Amino acid sequence: MWRKMANWHRGWEDEFFGVFEQPARAAVAQSGYRRCIARKIAALSPIERHQLYDFSKAHRGWRGYWLLARLLLVFSLGGVLLHVLHPRTGLFASIFTGNMIGLALIIAGFTAWFNYRKLVDQRWKLMRRTFMAGIGSALLVGVVKVWIQDIPTQQVLDELPRFLGLVLGVGLLMLLPQLAVGMLRYRQYEMLTEQLQAEFERERLARELSESQLRLLRAQIEPHFLFNTLGAVQQLAQHGAPRAAVLTANLIAFLRSSMSDMRSEQVSLATEFGLVESYLKVMQVRMGERLRCTLALPSALEAVQVPSMILLTLAENAIKHGIEPSLRGGEVALSARVEDGMLRIRVEDSGVGMSATPGAGTGLDNVRHRLQLTFGAAAGLALQEGDPGLIADITIPYSVPMSA
Amino acid sequence: MTMTTILIAEDEPLMRERLLEMLAEAWPEARVVLVAENGNDAWDGFLAQEPDVVFLDIRMPGLSGLEVAERIGGRAHVVFVTAYDQYAVDAFDKGAVDYLLKPVQADRLDKAVARLRDKLDGGQGKGRAPDDLGDLLQHLKSALPGMRQERTKWLKASVGRQIRLIDVDEVLFFQSDTKYTRVVLRDSEALVRMPLKDLLSGLDRDRFWQIHRGTVVNAGAIAAAERIDAERLQVILRDCDEKLPVSRTFAHLFRD
Repeated sequence: MWRKMANWHRGWEDEFFGVFEQPARAAVAQSGYRRCIARKIAALSPIERHQLYDFSKAHRGWRGYWLLARLLLVFSLGGVLLHVLHPRTGLFASIFTGNMIGLALIIAGFTAWFNYRKLVDQRWKLMRRTFMAGIGSALLVGVVKVWIQDIPTQQVLDELPRFLGLVLGVGLLMLLPQLAVGMLRYRQYEMLTEQLQAEFERERLARELSESQLRLLRAQIEPHFLFNTLGAVQQLAQHGAPRAAVLTANLIAFLRSSMSDMRSEQVSLATEFGLVESYLKVMQVRMGERLRCTLALPSALEAVQVPSMILLTLAENAIKHGIEPSLRGGEVALSARVEDGMLRIRVEDSGVGMSATPGAGTGLDNVRHRLQLTFGAAAGLALQEGDPGLIADITIPYSVPMSA
Repeated sequence: MTMTTILIAEDEPLMRERLLEMLAEAWPEARVVLVAENGNDAWDGFLAQEPDVVFLDIRMPGLSGLEVAERIGGRAHVVFVTAYDQYAVDAFDKGAVDYLLKPVQADRLDKAVARLRDKLDGGQGKGRAPDDLGDLLQHLKSALPGMRQERTKWLKASVGRQIRLIDVDEVLFFQSDTKYTRVVLRDSEALVRMPLKDLLSGLDRDRFWQIHRGTVVNAGAIAAAERIDAERLQVILRDCDEKLPVSRTFAHLFRD
């Protein structure tokens, strides 16, 4: 008999923990209340399930019963205390009441722990209901006393307020701790959510940055860029052309500044213009007369911070999708100005334009995203057809600094 | 024996210079007859010069190197010059296509030249016909990034003070007129300010057949091709009285 009980208990426990580990197992739990419990567990959120799991694991087997026994002991002591304070209630009745109230509080607390969202959402409704139920039951008891027990109406009416108070007191005693637990959990949960949100945002920023770093790295080691440039250097060097040294210097400047740019999330506009300039100079030697370029950065805007590498991405696009595929070649122009409280940076090319650029647009998406992450929704990137070519405009909210 | 003729197509001036100089050293008895700066010039130059060997950069403005090779078909030995990485170039290896990696190095060029010499006179004074790379090129065009060609849908032609928009599909044929292209429709014609070789790269090759260096015809408008004499062919159109000569290079289009 004892062994059978123990086996049954172990089986139930195993099933219980099985569901924790794999919620899908709830569907194969034994029917009846066991499946019902399993389903409830499976329906919990992963965090809640984890908490319940930790709790159950810590109190598995005899430890759980030991805890229960200690609780019962505490409640019984409470009952004895009640008897001492209020001798009119019998000793056993007091102990019984103490245990009942204690267990009810435990169960209430337990449900509150896992149903806190519902509890907090419907707290006024619950209060109202408790109140109504208290009044209802008091009246019912009154009616029973008058009609069935033949107690004089006057006496019942006299006792009613006291009784009402007692019922409502017990009701509130049950409800308030529940609400307190619920609120506590709610706040805890919100904090957790906030924390997760912040972590997520941080992670996303880091990912955005590493993505653009990766893209830049790829652009540098892209065979078309590096090998063609080295080929050009080799050709110039073979004839001892002074241009070889200039081209190498520009390549070095480009590689160096892009590598240091890569490490920082934001750089000054002057740095970014410098990076683009060295890139365009390298391309100019390679492409010859097919590429012309102009860069115009007002000195007042040199120190403005922008997300690193976004201008380079646009300049690379202008070359790759605008000028290189164009039979006639063209011009790339970079400029920056302040207009209506906005900083506008323009990368313009006179290449083949939008229709002939079948790129996937991941570079542009990345630019757009990083602008918005840094400056909010007011910042952006807009593309429009040029005549001919393509115009890319970066817009950033900008307040003119007070001159010192 | 006639001198081997070479065409080079490369868009970057320094790379062009480099390949020219290296070829002069590696293959002194061959003659570079044309240096093209883009794919359209390369194809046009091929038709004009009919060289034996063509060195094609893959990424060029206008027609890509792959497209030029496709048009050349089996009429010349093609060597691709590319900066694509090893991964992409594996496809060439599998197809036994000659290629050079940029920047071109002397030892690799020597090997390629040796192979070309072997193909050209086969060691027994008889040249081997170049391989037709059709299927492989189709595959490469879809495999290599950025190789898809934009199609032209509308042509802009100025007629007096107006600019007329012409639906490409309605064109019967295009005829080269130096820097302009004559566009002939069912009931009218117009001049487009663009050389035919540049228009060509935007046209669907299955629909618009080049039958002459200066003529591209809408295949749907062709009624018949007739023989003029033992060598020459001409195309008769469905809705037009004009007859269009077919050059020898393109006669294979009408062979059964």
